[in-house]
Formats: sequence, C-alpha cells, structure tokens
Amino acid sequence: MTSQPTTRTVRVFRYDPAKGGDGHFDTYTLDIPAPETTTILDVLLRLQREQDPSISFRFACRVNMCGSCGMVINGREALACKTNVAHLPPAQDITIRPLNHFPVIKDLVVDMEPFFAKYEDALPFFEPAKAHDEPYVIKPDDKARVDIGMATDCIACGCCVSSCTMVNHHAGYAGPAALNRAFTLLADERDGLFEARLTRALDSCYACRTEFNCTEVCPKQISGTRAIKYIQRLALKHLKSLKPLPAHPAEDKAKDPAKAGVKAAAAGASSTGCSCGGHHAAPAAPTPTAASPDATACPPSDPGTVCASRRSFLTAAVGAGTVAVLGGILGTAALAPTMGRTPAQWVPVAPLKDIPVGDISTLPLGYTRRQAFHSEQVQTSVLVRHDAPGQVLCFGNSCPHLGCAVSWDPLSSRFKCACHGGAFDRDGNVIAGPPPKGLNRLPWKIEDGILKVEVV
Amino acid sequence: MEQSKFEYRAPLQWGDLDPYRRERTHVGMWAWLIQRFSAVLIVIFLTLHLFFTYKPFLQFMLLVAVALHAALGLRVILLDFNLADIKRQRNLVYWLPGIGLALVLLIWGIIY
Repeated sequence: MTSQPTTRTVRVFRYDPAKGGDGHFDTYTLDIPAPETTTILDVLLRLQREQDPSISFRFACRVNMCGSCGMVINGREALACKTNVAHLPPAQDITIRPLNHFPVIKDLVVDMEPFFAKYEDALPFFEPAKAHDEPYVIKPDDKARVDIGMATDCIACGCCVSSCTMVNHHAGYAGPAALNRAFTLLADERDGLFEARLTRALDSCYACRTEFNCTEVCPKQISGTRAIKYIQRLALKHLKSLKPLPAHPAEDKAKDPAKAGVKAAAAGASSTGCSCGGHHAAPAAPTPTAASPDATACPPSDPGTVCASRRSFLTAAVGAGTVAVLGGILGTAALAPTMGRTPAQWVPVAPLKDIPVGDISTLPLGYTRRQAFHSEQVQTSVLVRHDAPGQVLCFGNSCPHLGCAVSWDPLSSRFKCACHGGAFDRDGNVIAGPPPKGLNRLPWKIEDGILKVEVV
Repeated sequence: MEQSKFEYRAPLQWGDLDPYRRERTHVGMWAWLIQRFSAVLIVIFLTLHLFFTYKPFLQFMLLVAVALHAALGLRVILLDFNLADIKRQRNLVYWLPGIGLALVLLIWGIIY
C-alpha cells in the first residue's frame, strides 16, 4: 500500500434530459481504501448508493464481457468494469464522461443507435457461399483463421468509435468496429457476400489515418487499424471488380429531403445502397432510385443542388488546378536558369592603370548572377591583353572545347588549356588541340578609368 | 423506432469537455499530428527556400520538416503494406523519425 491519502475526487459528467443544456461536471469526494482492487464501476455504484442516486450509467456483466459500461475515463475510452482506480495517474482526479460521437441520453448513457446502424451496414452476418450440410472443418493453423485471429471477440462497446478522430470528419465513415466486423467476414473464404461487403467498406476504409487510437483503447485488444489495413489491401487486390457507392446522404450538402433520404430498398446482397443515414434528415418517402452502384448516376433534382458526382468532379478540378499551379511555380523555379537568356551585366575588372601595358594578365572576376528566384555567386577570371594605354582585348577564361580554365603561358607565349592540350595564340585563335573555335572575346568599356567587361 | 419525448444532448466531440484527453494522447496520434504539421511546414519552408536561397537556418528547418514527414510517411507505408509488425507500431513512431533526424544531422555535418 502506498502512503497516499485514500480520498479521491471524482468528477462525473451530468446531463439531465428534462433540463436540457450542455451538461456539466459534478464533483464528489470518495474514500477509496483499496485502489488496486476498486474498479471505476465500483466507484460509480458507490456514488449512486452513498451520495447521489440520480447518477445514470449502464452496466450489466461486471466482467468485461458485455460492453455496456464503455465511457471516457480520464481522457481515455475504457470499460468502467475493467479499469481500476490504480490504473489512473494518481495526480489526476477521476473524471468520467460519456463516449464521444454518440447522442447523450442522460449522464453517462449514450444512444448507441448510430453505432449499430453502421454495424448493420457492414453486413455483420455470415451468408454461406454455397450450401453446406456438415460442419465446416477449420484448422487452427489455417492462414485465414490466423489472420482473423481474435478479431471476432468484439463486444460492440463503442470505445473505438469514440476514440477515433476521423468519425467527426466523415459522415459516411463506418468506424473501426464495423470495419473490424467486415474484416472478419471478408477474410473468410466461405462467405458469400464478399463483393457487397467490400463495396460498403470501400468508402470507409480510406478514412483511417493510422492513429491507432482504436487499437490503444480496445478492451479486447483487437486492432481496428489492422482490420482496416487488411481491407485496404483487399480493395487494392479487387480494384477492377469494385464500383464505389454514391456519396453518403449526410455528406450531400443539398437540403433536399427527398435526396437526403435516399436509402436502399432492402439491405441485401443485391443492393449496395447505404442505410446508415439513421440520424440525418427525417427520411421522406424513399425515392425509388433502384440503388444502382453507378456512382455517376445523379438522381434528377432541381437545378441549384449540386449532385455528388458533380461535386467530386469540381473538387477534382480545383485540386488539379492547384497542383498545376504549384507544379508550374516549382518547375519554373527549377528550370528558369536553363530557360531563355540570362541578362548580361557590366562588371568592373580593375582600374586601367593597374593593368600592366604590353602584357597579358589574368585578373579575378567576381559577380552575382541573378535569374528568377536564383542568385549565384560567380568566381571566375578574365584574361586581359593590354597592348597600349586604352587598347585592350578581353578573353573569357573558359576553353570553347569543354569549358576548362585557360591560362596565359608567357614562356611559349600562348594561351594553354589543360583539358586536351588546346592552345591559342595572342589573338585567341586556335593553334593546337581540339577546341572548335577561338577564345571567347568579352565586350569591354572603360568608365572612370576602370575597365569593365560584359558577362552573363 | 419511436421518438423519445426527451431531448438528447448533441454528441460530445473528440476532446470536448475532456480535461485529460490531451495529456494522455496516444503515440500514434502524435505521429499523425506531427506528419500533418510538418506537411504545412514543408509548404511554408519550401516557398521561402525558393525566394531566399541558401539560408542555412531555413535549409536546416526544411530538412528537418522533410525528414519527419518522410519518416512518418514511411511508417504509414510499412503498415499499409504489412511490411512491419503491426504489434510493434509504437516502435516505428520512435525509431523512424529518430533515424530520420540522425540522418539530417549527418547530412548537415557533411555539408556545413
């Protein structure tokens, strides 16, 4: 036993449907002498008996088997009957809150209807592919059996859906539990609803962002993420045979109730329509659109409402436009130095009086070459032949053959290039070696007694 | 289903009225957040990089953002195609960005 005081503060979310409002936290103080063996469910039951009989919560089996008491305990979804007080950080108050993404009925009791609507959408039942009279023989080392593993142990407590951040953002997203259920049957080769099930899972399985929240909170150690990844790989494998469903009605911005209420006529293998719209607009008379799997089939509507396929086309167009613009900017930035002419500029070489007359001198030349977004420091040299005061010839120092550095050799009185034995005379004409033409002559001028050359 | 005569409270959203949610965030959540965030940073730094070339600090930040984004993207690819043991997913979050940042420091040490 630790020497910590055994009194803990417990904060419980309260919402009274008779009063309405947003709900609030009530704070209780409870003496918990044995935190290692006291579950959160025990805490709630004691609060209900000793302090506040009006607290509502669900529980049934008390042994982590029924999934009734899923709730958010100190910021993590868990079963109240499986979480001991000692599992929580000792510095934190015990804070109990209902699950996310489900309508709250009272206090910690949520309406699980949307959860089970999504669950039903995944066709969570086994439909044999062909009639079979005798029991199936399933070997424990069968690959599919090993793949499925314990994923069939799901108790539908809703913890994973509550912990998933993506359920907020995609109305049609089935959530980890339904997809895990779909996975257990998709991986089963005896099942006859493979295509219908995979078609329904197709839209949802790419909403996963690989956060592993569902895996971390699952009280049965099932990995929803693993199931979703498996379905994604299946979808890749069966890419050709699958047709996507029309957009989920809740994602359709149209306020047309006849469209928002589009439902499959019957949930069966033949229809691929989505019936998880239990909680958006009140379903009007279901429009007799023979739930066609063709995503481009747009139900006839008054002009002004944008149909899902058109919306997705617009989205794609905007996206493609953005990509094209960005690509253009990046491409231009990358290729600009190689496109068109780089602007020429006049660069000072040296004062004319410093250049010895009657000699050929190699003078350093440093300048900045600018082009589009690029700026580049150029360090080169220029060969200056100063015949008489004011009479100058300027040669670039790169060999026309392969661009190697050319230097003046006073002994043999010729320009020499190191690369393949190129040589040039005093006028820059080729006298030996592979260079195709003479040395490049640079335009020059004299301003304020300073020699300047024009370079790019 | 018959209509209840009581008002349900609108569903609580993730992190809504949830004081301990952020400090008890799971590892994979951080992986996703860092990848999202580094994607935005890459766009910003890459744009700046085009206008202000070869500014060491900017280059370093861009390199770090790209390394983090790439490492975490590699994590998702490994998990997507079943190339890593999914039971060890937390280790991927520690090791891949760690290796990425080590490579950044190595490259930085070689170049500058």
